[in-house]
Amino acid sequence: MAIGRSVPMRDAEARVRGTVAYLADLRLPGMLTAKVVRSPFPHARIRRLDPRPALRIPGVVAILTAEDFNRPGAPRLFYGVDRKDQPVVARDRVRYVGEPVAAIVAETAEAAEEAAQAIEVEYEELPAVFDPLAATKPEAPQVHEDCPGNVFLHTRLRHGDLEAGFAAADLIVEETYTTPPACHVALEPHGVIAQWADGRLTVWSATQAPFVVQETLAELFGLPREAVRVIVPPLGGGYGGKGYVRLEPLAAALAWKVGGRPVRLILERSEEFVTLTRHAACIRIRTGVRRDGTLTARQVEVYWGAGAYADITPRLLRGAGLVRVVGPYRIPAVHVDAYGVYTNLPPAGPFRGTMSFEGAWAYESHMDTIAHELGMDPLELRRRNLLRPGDRFCTGEVIEEAFFLECLEAAVRCVGWDQPYEKGEGGRRRGRGLAVMMKSTLPRSRSECRLVLWADGVLELHTGTVEMGQGAHTALAQIAAAETGIPLERVQVIGPDTDRVPYDATTSASRSTSMMGTAIREAALRLKEEMRRRAAPLLEADPEELILQGTGVMVRGRPEVWIAWEDVLRRHGLEALEAHGVFETQGGLDPETGQGIASPHWHQGAGACEVEVDIETGKVRILRYCAAAYAGRVINPALATLQNEGNVVFGLGQALMEQILFDQGQPVNANMSDYQIPSLRDLPEVLESVLLESPEGSIHGLGEMTLPPVAPAIANAIFDAVGVRIRDLPITPEKIWRALHGE
Amino acid sequence: MRPEVLHPATLSDALAALAAYGEEARPLAGGTALVLLLHHRLIAPRVLVCLEEVRELRGLQFAEEGIQIGAMVRLQELARSPQIRERLPALALACQEVGNIRIRNQATLGGNLAEADYASDPPIALMALEAILEVHGPNGPREIPIAEFFRGPYTTALEPGELITAVRIPLPPPGSRMTYLKFRTRSAEDRPCVGVAAVVAFEDGICRELRIAVGAACETPQRRPEVERLAVGRPLTEAVIQAIAQGYADQIETLNDLRGSAAYRKRMIEVHVRRALEEVRDGHRSFGADAGC
Repeated sequence: MAIGRSVPMRDAEARVRGTVAYLADLRLPGMLTAKVVRSPFPHARIRRLDPRPALRIPGVVAILTAEDFNRPGAPRLFYGVDRKDQPVVARDRVRYVGEPVAAIVAETAEAAEEAAQAIEVEYEELPAVFDPLAATKPEAPQVHEDCPGNVFLHTRLRHGDLEAGFAAADLIVEETYTTPPACHVALEPHGVIAQWADGRLTVWSATQAPFVVQETLAELFGLPREAVRVIVPPLGGGYGGKGYVRLEPLAAALAWKVGGRPVRLILERSEEFVTLTRHAACIRIRTGVRRDGTLTARQVEVYWGAGAYADITPRLLRGAGLVRVVGPYRIPAVHVDAYGVYTNLPPAGPFRGTMSFEGAWAYESHMDTIAHELGMDPLELRRRNLLRPGDRFCTGEVIEEAFFLECLEAAVRCVGWDQPYEKGEGGRRRGRGLAVMMKSTLPRSRSECRLVLWADGVLELHTGTVEMGQGAHTALAQIAAAETGIPLERVQVIGPDTDRVPYDATTSASRSTSMMGTAIREAALRLKEEMRRRAAPLLEADPEELILQGTGVMVRGRPEVWIAWEDVLRRHGLEALEAHGVFETQGGLDPETGQGIASPHWHQGAGACEVEVDIETGKVRILRYCAAAYAGRVINPALATLQNEGNVVFGLGQALMEQILFDQGQPVNANMSDYQIPSLRDLPEVLESVLLESPEGSIHGLGEMTLPPVAPAIANAIFDAVGVRIRDLPITPEKIWRALHGE
Repeated sequence: MRPEVLHPATLSDALAALAAYGEEARPLAGGTALVLLLHHRLIAPRVLVCLEEVRELRGLQFAEEGIQIGAMVRLQELARSPQIRERLPALALACQEVGNIRIRNQATLGGNLAEADYASDPPIALMALEAILEVHGPNGPREIPIAEFFRGPYTTALEPGELITAVRIPLPPPGSRMTYLKFRTRSAEDRPCVGVAAVVAFEDGICRELRIAVGAACETPQRRPEVERLAVGRPLTEAVIQAIAQGYADQIETLNDLRGSAAYRKRMIEVHVRRALEEVRDGHRSFGADAGC
């Protein structure tokens, strides 16, 4: 059986040896190099832009400015997932430091670089605003003319009688939590190569969403979808940063301007920090609770700082931005108000654990504050309130698969929660903390695939799922092998390439193994049905009498009447047999009330840890961390465990050190020496991973589940150790020290 | 423009190349700092004088009176050298705390000093060890005591065309114990928020000489002899240790950066000077089996 086996990731060795051909390794004949000219100001009017001095530099081929978009046959200047508010290059105004104002195409990187310096741009600085809360104040500078108050979207969730819920409470706790912008820091930066030929646009892009890129480019250039081809080489990490549309419109417009020659645009590390960030979020959370620990009401107000352009935020705010900030609890009355806010910072978007990270940071830290005020064990408070199967969530939907408590209990077992605990005396104190989370996946999304069985017995899986180091292609090949019975080593994965593979919404939200996996099962069923239909006349039997066994077809009860798949194809004169598979999820929330179906199934994860705090310095050491996720059915235990452990390491960075710092809108740590990510030596001394399975469980994604609990579990353990509550990420030693020493 | 890279094999060729190109040339040692500067276009030299093959810059020499370290010796070699670990553990510790193994295998001691990054470990240890820098330049050789070498962040006493050729470290007095403490506030590969090196010579439990250097919290690594003297002729009691720790915290002007505020750093100097002295007093710091890996 190909499922449940820890087969190695298909390109693991090639990745480690450096032989994987990433986008940067692609060399096309006549390829030109592009360089982006970026705004040095967070908010300014462009008074004059003169590309002529740059054009005179030898080797410079073309310079793209907003002017080009006025020409007949030009692409549209503005794009966006929901609000078409983002120009490919700025027209008359820049809204963040790093915004593209022009782009150079040259024969060499050196010429492009020199030209980028030579372009003359005159700016008139405008007042700017950076904090999402400050941006909503009446006196705040306006980021977009058509959006007074800077709130471009306000969504609501209304469930139950809030006033009655708070009236029924013995205690009401209100707190505010914040999370800063952060950088995805994929090892591979963003990159695109674009080329026009015969009215057709081909784009090689390090993207997580080839079909979104295709659709957006087709729309921008007024082309039918088929006229745009998007090819995705293996990615060196994505974490959401390569989701949706990033550099592709700019690269395609440059290629359009030079007409014919391929144009390559690859970002430098510093540019990564101004391309897409995590939201700067401010979450006010207020909860009513009875003395026995029963939650009666919760009100959450979230300000999602989206940066200068809305990007994916509006779509997120209609689902994720509401339901991912409440917590997996049974609460009779819940109100959520989510605000999408413009600021003069780089655009924000998907970020591994999107909005669940921020949500869990607030609601799980908050749960411990409530437990503390009630004098109750934090685990006990959660036990009383966690959603159980059949409970109704605040969206009104009934949760059938609910393993929140099981996840939490599995996690706390590793840290011996029920054992007596010695916190230590003197300069170093120990503490334990826990956290749990629920995350929606994407409703209303579709994954398709094609299985092609060749006469030589090779099975091709054509899929739009992007391999970015997470092992998706390995897991999907395992599913294809298991569902067809074809040996795993004969399964080849083809794609993503929009010309060759059928539609897939995106590789994000931990949806691929689950959704693409289900589509593969559909396709395998059809392929087998087709095989039976074709084999029947050859075996002189009815298709219903035939069963598939191994890589052959036999008549039920008569194993001697058997034919190999290859022979079925050969005897029908077929080169290959094809089957298509589709899986689509439904749902969505009412825009006024947030009621409906937020998610086809729920991601569930928990964490528990033990920390040691150095009282004199505020430094935290993670002694032990246990991450437990509900996995349904595990395809590849080794890869699943790596995802789970990766969540903890990623979360540790977000919890303790990661933050893009801006000084009046200028990023001050846009490099890997000033922006720190965890190293191997920052791992907890003991790191445990638990994957809960259930025999009849479905396939669940695992790329994010145990990430959101990391920060609150650590913060709760710090509170347990030294009685200090940190509410603003990251949890730096100095913040703890200041709280301890009252400075 | 990509700079041209020269590969002199001798010190005189290297110096000649530096003299010939003047400000258009930069010496290239391990490159861990220089290549970043090039990459970020903070410098744009026409010529790089690669010191890799200059034989006079290589090697460790151990003698009665001290240890001589060639400027091109890698930090990892110092961290792993049994003699350095035995005789100058503070230096071995400081080198082993730098970045990660890929950095340490590449970065050189001479390059590290010449860069004069204020947030770096080895200079702090060398300050407490009273290292002497041997320098060669257009006007011949000279020696610079390390206390006179750092003039500010990224600024040194080197004249144009001069190269550090070796670092000489006099052996500390008999009965000395020493350590280096690095305090990080972010990742395990981060630069120090505060670094403290302590060298103490004991005679029958009485402190004969005490040297403390503090760095990374201030613009250059610093010592405060008047505070160090508080310990001389006394046993290292809690009170003495506290007075020294307090003295260093009070007297060093700290700076703000991403690793911590100036106020926080004052207190971290106090904590880590105290801890360093306690460690030296107790004398139980040793190298673990996996140290430096």
